[in-house]
Amino acid sequence: MRLTRREALLVGGGALATLAGPALAQSIQVERIEMRGTARGERIWFSPRGIAIPAGTTLRFVNSDPGNSHTATAYHPDLFGRYSRIPTAATPWDSGFLLPDESFDVTLTVPGVYDYYCIPHEMAGMAGRIVVGRPGDPGWEAASADTEDPAPEALAALPSVERILTEGRIERG
Amino acid sequence: MKFLTPLAAIGIALLTPAAFAHDEHLLETAPPEAPYVQVSDVLPLPEFLPGLGTLFVDPGTLPAGPFLAYDHDGKLSATVYMTPLQALEDGTAFDGLAIGSHTVSSVDIYYNAGHPGVAEPHAHVVLFHDADAKARLAQ
Repeated sequence: MRLTRREALLVGGGALATLAGPALAQSIQVERIEMRGTARGERIWFSPRGIAIPAGTTLRFVNSDPGNSHTATAYHPDLFGRYSRIPTAATPWDSGFLLPDESFDVTLTVPGVYDYYCIPHEMAGMAGRIVVGRPGDPGWEAASADTEDPAPEALAALPSVERILTEGRIERG
Repeated sequence: MKFLTPLAAIGIALLTPAAFAHDEHLLETAPPEAPYVQVSDVLPLPEFLPGLGTLFVDPGTLPAGPFLAYDHDGKLSATVYMTPLQALEDGTAFDGLAIGSHTVSSVDIYYNAGHPGVAEPHAHVVLFHDADAKARLAQ
């Protein structure tokens, strides 16, 4: 699903924007999630690592780490055989490796909890959680209860859904 | 050497210990000859890594290396080793590793959480080959 300039609107947002013209394109909300790291690579993380967004929001993953490459990859059987940690009706995404300053867009429309990770840094706990909508929204799907598949370090990095809904954005640590 | 016959010279060369088998002058300027490959050509990493420069490695020596680190002008500035912590803890030793230059001015050792090529947490062991090398590799 990697498109030119590594920017893709995967779940209809791009098509809608194209068909409806500039007015609708400007109305689509875009939230930025940065891939960051210390200068020597001792620590790496998504910023924010937890975020609450309305359905239809576009997330832009940006590699702001000058010394490393990163991915934003949904936990899903279609992507490297992982257990699903996104709503059943949602489309999984994999940014592929992003070099410094490269970015990747994904639009999430299905309410529920989405967990994702960075392929080369899962063992270092580089993972994030996105909450789309709120519990009770039509089609809402809660967080995966599985604790076997993700690296323990990644699992530990995922904030609780309740905290994300309360605070809106959760940064490192 | 010019006083030796060619046959005698070959004989001496064959008796030279392996540690001195490479001609470090061949590595002074990028790119080093095969089997070294440029890391950014085979892995999704920037061509110049801040702190490490432009890296070349013989794939057969992974994960430890040596990685040869060149500055922006293509001068060999450091030799880098990457040793996975779990492997060390499990008893793996990385012995007799080659070096890019026999001149070492200082050594840095630090933790790295992982990157394409060496995904698991590991140590970077950086042998700088002159006093200014660290500054040239910084950015």
